[in-house]
Amino acid sequence: MSTDLSDASDGTLASRAAEGDERAFEVLLRRHLGLMTAYATRLTSSRADASDAVQEASITIWRELPGLQTPDAVRGWMMTIVSRKSFDLIRRRRPASDVDDLEVPSTDGAHDDPERRAQSSDAMVALREALGRLPAGQRRVWTMREVGGESYADIAEKTGSTVTAVRGQLARARESLTREMEAWR
Amino acid sequence: MSDPTPFSPAARPPGPVPPSDPEAGPETGRVPDSESEPETEVGGVSTERLTDYLDSGREPYDPLIEDDPASLAQLVALQRLRALSADLVESDAAAAPAPDPSWIAGVMDRVRTESRTGRDIPLTSPDARSTLHITEGAVRSLVREAGDSVPGVVVVSCGLAGDVGVDGAPIRVDVALSVVYGADLRRVADLAREAVAEALSRHTELVVEALDVTVRDVHLGAREAGL
Repeated sequence: MSTDLSDASDGTLASRAAEGDERAFEVLLRRHLGLMTAYATRLTSSRADASDAVQEASITIWRELPGLQTPDAVRGWMMTIVSRKSFDLIRRRRPASDVDDLEVPSTDGAHDDPERRAQSSDAMVALREALGRLPAGQRRVWTMREVGGESYADIAEKTGSTVTAVRGQLARARESLTREMEAWR
Repeated sequence: MSDPTPFSPAARPPGPVPPSDPEAGPETGRVPDSESEPETEVGGVSTERLTDYLDSGREPYDPLIEDDPASLAQLVALQRLRALSADLVESDAAAAPAPDPSWIAGVMDRVRTESRTGRDIPLTSPDARSTLHITEGAVRSLVREAGDSVPGVVVVSCGLAGDVGVDGAPIRVDVALSVVYGADLRRVADLAREAVAEALSRHTELVVEALDVTVRDVHLGAREAGL
């Protein structure tokens, strides 16, 4: 009796979930869980923290779905909630300190995962390493923009910064990355 | 598509000639340290502006960028970086351990404690001393199930307009559908309408004044491809 919802678009699933369809919500969540978790892992630099942040985000997503104006854009919206929860968690973990000194593993388990190592192209390896050399603040802002597709205003709000400063950080991150990636052009 | 531009590179305002081209390698050392000075430039155009141009899909055509080899090279580099970045996250995600089933179950348990039941809709009680209701959420669920039962249809949303809490008040039902690509829209919409009308009359006592069906979306379906 249950229709297969796996062909349904994000927008359809979001609309149904907003009207209370828990099954649609689960399909939507499973569809993007990998990305949400990867995103939170990059932001919190911890799988355990990422799991907690994504859990909190998932409940919030369910709660706030009825207010979402553009169901078709649900994925980006979900990602902004993931980063919001990730930053909440980072602040709770390290109350008085700047989130910038958190250590983010640049290769993030790549050495102990042969499958990933095999899948990664050389350019990808170079990108991971170049990312690892960025200052933490730039890396986090870059991640929110390129991975999360978040607006400058959202990033500024979450990092306690200004749009101008965020744009500047992004420009510097991109310049470092393109310069380091020169060999892979 | 982009109209021929009245500008030419020669018409550019004379400015400091960029001392380096982006092929010059990491020796350029021109990245300023100041937080408040984002105007770093590679070639003649700032990275910020190049990124904004990329974000707008390279529209409208900007000759200052497109006709300047250094800017164009950096634009292409930024574009490649972006494509690679998308793959980076996909590969992060692919390499991450599969989600623990108990993790998902835990989230869904919490979701169910916050289910959206909506308004109460009265039903005639067989016993005059008690009342009987069906929730709006349950009615929506019925509508979804009825619509979904038509091959090639996924219900997108179901709106109940009118005073559903008042016995016998006329209400309007708006059902939006996503229909599989290639299906006969009119036929499929009619089937969905019939299925929904039947379910509502069988399971509720709503006085349905109007039942509007809209095809709002078309989806690709591996399964229903034979329709």
